[in-house]
Amino acid sequence: MEGNYSTKKNYRENFYDLNISGNRSIIEEAERLGFAGVSLTYNFDDYNSEISKEYDELKLESNILIRKCLEISCKNPEELKKKVQRSRKKADIIMVRGGDNRINRAACEERNVDILSQPYRNRRDSGMNHVLSRQAAENDVAVEINLSSLLKTNLRYRHRIISQFRHIMDLKRKYGFSVVISSGARSSYDQRNPMDIFALSNCFGMTKNESFEALSTIPKHIIDRNDERDNFVLDGVKTVVEL
Amino acid sequence: MNQKLKILPPTMRDKKRYIAFELIFQGHMTREDVIDTIIEGSLYLYGACGTGKFDIWVVKLWKCGKNTSPHGNPDENYMRGIIRCRREEVESVRAVLPTITRFRGKHLVFHTLGISGTIKSATKNFIKV
Repeated sequence: MEGNYSTKKNYRENFYDLNISGNRSIIEEAERLGFAGVSLTYNFDDYNSEISKEYDELKLESNILIRKCLEISCKNPEELKKKVQRSRKKADIIMVRGGDNRINRAACEERNVDILSQPYRNRRDSGMNHVLSRQAAENDVAVEINLSSLLKTNLRYRHRIISQFRHIMDLKRKYGFSVVISSGARSSYDQRNPMDIFALSNCFGMTKNESFEALSTIPKHIIDRNDERDNFVLDGVKTVVEL
Repeated sequence: MNQKLKILPPTMRDKKRYIAFELIFQGHMTREDVIDTIIEGSLYLYGACGTGKFDIWVVKLWKCGKNTSPHGNPDENYMRGIIRCRREEVESVRAVLPTITRFRGKHLVFHTLGISGTIKSATKNFIKV
């Protein structure tokens, strides 16, 4: 997972937003703002064949890379494990909605989870500590920094979200787990230009290279890993198809 | 009688940068409203002390009409404009724009189009009205 902000090619082309949901207009807006790909997020409990059909149509019509992401919200770790197993075949990316201590921990320990979304949700602290950070790094679970939680929070409490993001970044630097930045957009008013996200992420102490990684290199790595997931037999063993 | 101050020599002047931006909003907004939302956003993010360092000034605004894309919302209005700020603070000022989400209860969004050293090149390269 190497990426560099400085190269001119990367500067415009390879940004991914792994958490948006909506219709065709939101995908068009993402394309206009310079994203190379997006993942459409659906709630696991609401997901059905109609939504799947709708997703297939959107994927056919769009000019950018589209992936399907299922967001799992659950009350206890056992439920999480069941839901993750059931959704692995259905979705390209699996995201677990964090916030609860036990759920955050179970998500970090589960190899099939790709992203732990908003571990700081409805909390005073960041929802991450050194134990969870180590687990997340070991199991390759990325932690999501969701910009909508910053932008939709009351102005009076925004400082708290900024300090939670800052804490996640401090842990990331020490323990080396992956962090992704996503917009969490539900309408085109929630979407931001990648360069504006760089500037905004500077507020919570991210350098340009870190922002670039969180918006480009790591999302790309997650997408590529899941595209090849069927070919993996064991850890480190992959089926190679000869052409 | 008020005498006009002599202009500072170029070496003594603050170096400026011009940020071209696009504003998408619902309803009606005047130039004063745009200035107020930007200053307010900056005050909320950096406070009076930080905002004082930026030298923010809205130089020019262009009204670009309504959203005409086939899947877009026809009630949306477009505006483009240029903000002037100090060269050293350009990234901080840029961070203010995405934090602005609402004006009088209605949605709005700012997108940065680019940064330039002169008003002329900002207009030519990014505004393109």
